[in-house]
Amino acid sequence: MTGPASLERGYRRVLACYPRAFRRENEQEIITVLMATAREGQQRPGLAESVDLVRGALRMWLRPGPGRPPRTVLNAVKLMYAGAALDLAALIIVVVTAGRVRSAMVSRDPAQWNFVLTHLVAVEVFGPIAIGVWLWMAWANGRGHDWARGVFTTFLGLTTLSLLGWLAGSAVLYATADLIAVTVLWLVQMAAMVLIFSRKSASYYRHEPAER
Amino acid sequence: MQEATFLILTALAAGSQHGYGIITDVNEISGGRVRLRAGTLYTALDRLRADEMIGVDREEIVGSRLRRYYRLTPAGGERLAAEAARLHANATAALARLNPAGGLIT
Repeated sequence: MTGPASLERGYRRVLACYPRAFRRENEQEIITVLMATAREGQQRPGLAESVDLVRGALRMWLRPGPGRPPRTVLNAVKLMYAGAALDLAALIIVVVTAGRVRSAMVSRDPAQWNFVLTHLVAVEVFGPIAIGVWLWMAWANGRGHDWARGVFTTFLGLTTLSLLGWLAGSAVLYATADLIAVTVLWLVQMAAMVLIFSRKSASYYRHEPAER
Repeated sequence: MQEATFLILTALAAGSQHGYGIITDVNEISGGRVRLRAGTLYTALDRLRADEMIGVDREEIVGSRLRRYYRLTPAGGERLAAEAARLHANATAALARLNPAGGLIT
């Protein structure tokens, strides 16, 4: 298939990444605009417009729910995005330096090889999961889902346990940097927790969030 | 207020417009500097509708394509006027400080 029909199908494929409720309301109209702004003879969506659409879809997924959330919830959501960014930065540092750390630790004390390997793999596996949880929590709390407060409390509990583990001296790798990173993340979580459980946030979590 | 939002509200200040009309008008208002893409436009329109700054005026089918016209609400008009006044005051202050004698800036 070529021409406008093929181009329209391409646009619909990109638009599939938007929330269903948004698509139902706006897809026909967005297609109209996309087709009107397409170049003469264009066969498929361009890179720049596809990036713009995907970015728009991400914003729609991560946007706070209907009814303006109180400032306490908005600030908590911002802290959750900051937590995701911090976890991402920590993960990048670990991935970039992992090779050097592995060889340095093993040459200094070969007996620690298993421990080093386990620790690095744990960071590389749980880092992306933690980033996902931060983003999920930002979305769910922004939408006013009451269960999100429970999940976030559990998340804080797990971070508290790992912080206690570090304080107990069970980890020697990246000792100082690790401790600082976990402490900062814990403080960010604590601040977000206080905000979502504040009196001003309570009424927002009682409403029924709309379908996405 | 982001510049794209300001320009969208400005485009609607003179009357209701559909999506493609807003894109071309914003391009014209900004002297060709801001070219809105569909993803950016509809994210902004969705937010402005949620904030009750704009509303849907009417819908038309033209050549089997849906056209939805948006209009500025009274709240949107007030917000745009306040933002325009703020920008005007800032610009006036900047120009006055750049040129305290009141002559031309060279």
